Amino acid sequence: MSSLSNLLLPPVLFFALGFLARLIKSDLRFPPDLASLLSIYLLVAIGLHGGFELGTAELGTALASVLWALGLGIVLPLLGFGLLMATRRVDGLNAAAIAAHYGSVSAGTFLTAIAYLGNLGLDYERYPLIMLAVMESPAIVIGLVLATWMRRRATGGRPAPGSEPDVRFSELVHEAFTNGSVVLLIGAMAIGAVASPKAVTSLDPFVSGIFMGMLCLFLLDMGMEAGRRFGDFRRVGVVLGAFGLLMPLIGGTIGVAVGHYGLGFGVGGTTLVAVLGASASYIAVPPAMRLAVPEANPSFYLTLALGVTFPFNVVVGIPLYHHLAELVVAAA
Amino acid sequence: MHRLYPEKLVTVITSEVLEDRLVKAVRKRGASGYTLLRACGAGSEGLQSGMLWVDTNLLLKVILPPERLPGLLDDLEALSAKGHHLTVFVSDVGVLGHEKFEQPLDG
Repeated sequence: MSSLSNLLLPPVLFFALGFLARLIKSDLRFPPDLASLLSIYLLVAIGLHGGFELGTAELGTALASVLWALGLGIVLPLLGFGLLMATRRVDGLNAAAIAAHYGSVSAGTFLTAIAYLGNLGLDYERYPLIMLAVMESPAIVIGLVLATWMRRRATGGRPAPGSEPDVRFSELVHEAFTNGSVVLLIGAMAIGAVASPKAVTSLDPFVSGIFMGMLCLFLLDMGMEAGRRFGDFRRVGVVLGAFGLLMPLIGGTIGVAVGHYGLGFGVGGTTLVAVLGASASYIAVPPAMRLAVPEANPSFYLTLALGVTFPFNVVVGIPLYHHLAELVVAAA
Repeated sequence: MHRLYPEKLVTVITSEVLEDRLVKAVRKRGASGYTLLRACGAGSEGLQSGMLWVDTNLLLKVILPPERLPGLLDDLEALSAKGHHLTVFVSDVGVLGHEKFEQPLDG
């Protein structure tokens, strides 16, 4: 059964090991800065690799990818917000903060999907990498706009004294678009695109040789973090937990439609766009929401993004979006 | 016998994302210095595992003369009023060489 063999990818298994280690209360721990180092490495490696190949990209498709990424980054949080408000389990500010996470992306999920496609020997378009960089930020702005609207609505259109966040809109937009992971990814892509092929080859084994091993370590750590968050599940409750499973399915389906019908990608590229639509941010959006929407409870959005949606996507979602992409591409 | 001078020690535990704002308040209110430590724990905002920037807490310690305390507490209260979660407590401490605590960081 191919789905099962895809679950037996070393990175996915290491994720499961990390999760298990927390459940059995193992004393396994990573030094705190190691997680940051692994994130930096993965973004640089994937940026260099992708940038090198995007050096020969078509400008038209690249621009279309950027526009579709912006569209997803705006539409997905609005959809998520509508769904959350319909559940009546959270107030408007919590809904705005959670929705922003689902409009942004998780680089960890994206990299796992690349490992998954590599395991299948399936080639993929490189444009989703540009979308990964673009989609980090717009949802933060949408989250802020929704939160401001909710605050105004609660006070009958007037800002209540002391209720406005101590962060200016321009400051938040600046933070959203100069976020470390965005700068690193776009910067590494630019370096990969302009550097000579010989110079890029000289970076091996840094760029490709050790990539999978580093991804295993990163996912081991993420598995431990997801395991820790899983313990907070009762805080979010069943309805919000269900949102954490439903929203990636909606985002993934929209992503498949955008990847194939909007951008004309094959199965590999369409799967990656679906993963972008399905994943929820846990790097760029949480600090921004914490500053801009301090009234929202971080244990809601962190538990949903890290404890529910991330494990779901890694274990179930990615093979599911791949099969959906196969169906859509075959039907076209 | 060493001579100890009375000062106020303010301890703040909050999210790391507020670091810039806390440091700004400490400087504005005339503290002579501050110490920051990364911290993890759990409380009303759930688990702060210390693994990600957003779920890392920081522990800020500032010693300052009693007359400069109200201004700093005003700023910390203003942050709380905006919805940020802060744990703040003040202790009476005795310090050696009080002159260094009189000199503001930005003085």
